[in-house]
Amino acid sequence: MSLRIKKANIGVLFFILIGIVPFAAAFIYALLYSFGVTGVANDGFTLKFWETVIASGSFFKSLGFSVLIALVAVVISVGGALWITLKFKEQLESRFFSFIIYLPLAIPGIVTGFFTFQLFSKGGFLARISHKLGFITEASQFPDLVNDGLAFGIILSFIALIMPFFILLFLNVYKNERVEELSILAQSLGASANQIAKKIFLPILIKKTWVLIVLYFIFLLGAYEVPLILGQESPQMLSVLIIQEIKQYDLDKISEGYVVAVLYTIIVSVTAIALFLPKRKTAYAN
Amino acid sequence: MNRIRNILFGFLIGLSLLGCGEKSKQDDEQLKSATWQEIEKKSEGKTVNFMMWQGSTAINDYINNYVVPTVKEKYDIDLQISGGQGPEIVQLVMGEKQADIDEGQVDMVWINGETFFQLRKVDGLWGSFVEKLPNSKFIDFDNPFINTDFQQPVNGMEAPWSINQFAIVYDSQKTSSPPKSIPEFEIFIKENPGTFTISNDFTGMTFLKSLMAEIGGSPNALDGNFDENKYQELSAKLWAFINESKQYFWKEGSTFPKEQSKMNQLFANGELLLTYGFREGSIEDKVLSGFYPKSTKGYAWENGTIRNTNYLGILHNAPQKAATMQVINFLLSPEAQLKKSDVDGMNSNTVLDMSELPPDWSMKFLDAKKREFGPSIRELELNAITEPAPEYMIRLYEDFRKHVIEN
Amino acid sequence: MRINWKPFVLSLAVLLILFPFVYLVFLSLASEWRFPDVWPSYLGLRNWQTVFDSETGLLQSFLSSLVISLSVAVFSTASGFLISKSVFYHPKRKTLTLLAYFPYILSPVVFAACLSFFFLKMGLFGNMTGVVVAQFIIAFPYALLFFSSFWNEKVKNYEDLVATLGGNKWQAYTKVLLPLAKGLILICFFQTFLISWFEYGLTSIIGIGKVQTLTIKVFLFIKEANYYYGALSCCLLIFPPVVLLYFNKRYVFKKLV
Repeated sequence: MSLRIKKANIGVLFFILIGIVPFAAAFIYALLYSFGVTGVANDGFTLKFWETVIASGSFFKSLGFSVLIALVAVVISVGGALWITLKFKEQLESRFFSFIIYLPLAIPGIVTGFFTFQLFSKGGFLARISHKLGFITEASQFPDLVNDGLAFGIILSFIALIMPFFILLFLNVYKNERVEELSILAQSLGASANQIAKKIFLPILIKKTWVLIVLYFIFLLGAYEVPLILGQESPQMLSVLIIQEIKQYDLDKISEGYVVAVLYTIIVSVTAIALFLPKRKTAYAN
Repeated sequence: MNRIRNILFGFLIGLSLLGCGEKSKQDDEQLKSATWQEIEKKSEGKTVNFMMWQGSTAINDYINNYVVPTVKEKYDIDLQISGGQGPEIVQLVMGEKQADIDEGQVDMVWINGETFFQLRKVDGLWGSFVEKLPNSKFIDFDNPFINTDFQQPVNGMEAPWSINQFAIVYDSQKTSSPPKSIPEFEIFIKENPGTFTISNDFTGMTFLKSLMAEIGGSPNALDGNFDENKYQELSAKLWAFINESKQYFWKEGSTFPKEQSKMNQLFANGELLLTYGFREGSIEDKVLSGFYPKSTKGYAWENGTIRNTNYLGILHNAPQKAATMQVINFLLSPEAQLKKSDVDGMNSNTVLDMSELPPDWSMKFLDAKKREFGPSIRELELNAITEPAPEYMIRLYEDFRKHVIEN
Repeated sequence: MRINWKPFVLSLAVLLILFPFVYLVFLSLASEWRFPDVWPSYLGLRNWQTVFDSETGLLQSFLSSLVISLSVAVFSTASGFLISKSVFYHPKRKTLTLLAYFPYILSPVVFAACLSFFFLKMGLFGNMTGVVVAQFIIAFPYALLFFSSFWNEKVKNYEDLVATLGGNKWQAYTKVLLPLAKGLILICFFQTFLISWFEYGLTSIIGIGKVQTLTIKVFLFIKEANYYYGALSCCLLIFPPVVLLYFNKRYVFKKLV
């Protein structure tokens, strides 16, 4: 018996080594750097980088911007995916569709960003077609859809990236949770299609997947490639801001980048604790 | 939980102790007094890592398809290219210093003045090596554009590679008289709103330096050491001017392209009427490749645009210093420099002095095909200004973001 | 009678899904395609030929991406499977799971920026091993959490049964656990392969431009404004997963939820 416990502990030790130590090391390093303790250009403990970042407000602007973008993208994607699942579940079962709907999974963020740029920029494919059709005569007349203030390009890319995933997810939950059978039962008891959607379909699907929905929100919050290609110079999404600050010209200000990195890590970790610590059923979290 | 924390800290400390082994630097010091034959002998069969800006197809083509195979064939050196410029190089050097890495990731770097400044600030460069190179005899070190980089004496710490002048680019079919001064520029952007922008990179900042010199009243306004008061005064005027004008910029100045290449793309699409860049020679290659229209022309600002030299440096912890010198020496050879100035290729001006070259080589340079579209560096010569001190550039970066982009 | 609009929406959806693939292939065949032309002035195999003939290094990138991703997938799936057993049978299971989520949800590029010092220290900077280790660190929590649902009472009982019947550990794994987990292991392998195959930010920091995977190349071409080569490298990036999907579709998602 004692041998078995020891063996199990070796596994846990490995888990700590690979899963936890790097994270802790990265966090502690960033923390030390943000207080000026490490770093070639720094000369000792100081609060000035924290003060500068808090005072300048660019972090909060960037955080608000990122939250807003991620929220809009997640809401639209989940809404769209629910609608498609509700309306098209039978058709999507067919042989052809069941392959087609997997295809978007083969496209990573970097390609989605590149493609969105090629399509929607002022010199892009849609602008060319508009020009051909006579809607515009100059490239500059085409609406501002990438690197734009409303982050249209970023949101569109995010939706293209995650909506297919949610459709697949909902279709699976629909099947596994026997929503179909429940719906038929409700129908035979006299419920309308609307009632079935509101009282059975939506609650079951959302309840079974909300943890994943929040997880995807967090992923989008930290997204890098898409906003790097499609974002504008200010405000920027968090990851882009952090990397830009850490890799900037002014060597004396690198620590400010680590301040933002620490703040971001804390926010994400607190969210994780809030999500996973309470005893909730998280059957679909993985 | 406590136990986990203990293990964690133990491991962290263990990590930071790793790789602290000292390695003697004697070998490198000996290299400084070695003869060229000894250096050549040491460089055979080695691998040299070269970190450079990879933002141009023509440059990448020159390096990948000419330099890499040639040094392999001639000296049996494997030249490995990795992408990175200014801040990336400095960050790498700083990171390696912090981690006490004696054998760095990169041997050779392609840099210009502000990186030179920062690398010297953190003692990131190896030392004076240029006069050791046999081909350095073809270079005129009395030329102020070569012996001084951003107002700093070079002292053989970096080898000149190319000399370029900043040029403004326009399509002569769309624009008959492009602006050559700030007053003309103000009229131009009001007449053509949305057709001008400033890239938030080295190129854009260089344009801002030219404007600042003009605001200062003369091509030499920024010469000399960095002057805080002068910077404060001139930059305040510059930001006021930019912020007043930016409503006429691309996207009403609400954002700026991250890279020069993006600005060039906007110019190629016809969204912008003006673009600009350091390599006046790159106009040619963009016209020849069909990227720019044939009516494209380049010119210099009346008050002058910046002319500078870019350099090749050896990092202090370069593992293969001898082989790196061999590669740099090759890049300075008449053969490699001639190929580099090929108007159908990289099209970058040589740093070699024609009067120092053997006659057959100088003839080859003179006989080489001339540019058809881009201006020659000689045409721009009258309006050349020297690079201001590096601090101007570093401050402009910071303040452009603070006062313009985030404003 | 109401018009049935569903076929239209469905056809539109199919077009939307297929369009990026077609367009990227088209763009990779194009050249000299200036605004406002709707059709490129050159369309042919020139770009592809250059890639296979000369030194743009795309083929090499393809191979390094493949080696890196396969290693990451093998290591993270194997270690995820083995280690998840001790984690999910551990009395402190809940706390450990929570800890695994931290690296899982952190932006990889930020993670890499903060980790780079340690990678430098250990000589794992700027080489393929370093990139594999770094990607492994982010793929491992995924694999670990992925197998959490596998280790339940039923599986434990099977294992005990093997022991009761006189089987050893090895037999428990080869005869019971692995066959039971086969489907999951395949999906996990595929997913961790994709995590690595699509990774850019972390690779760019740990590889400092010396390890040129396909995603690094895509970005390089975007920076050069060389969109034709960019599209070409995108094709190399997305078609292998498509092929895998075609053969493996039923494994990829079926048991993911």
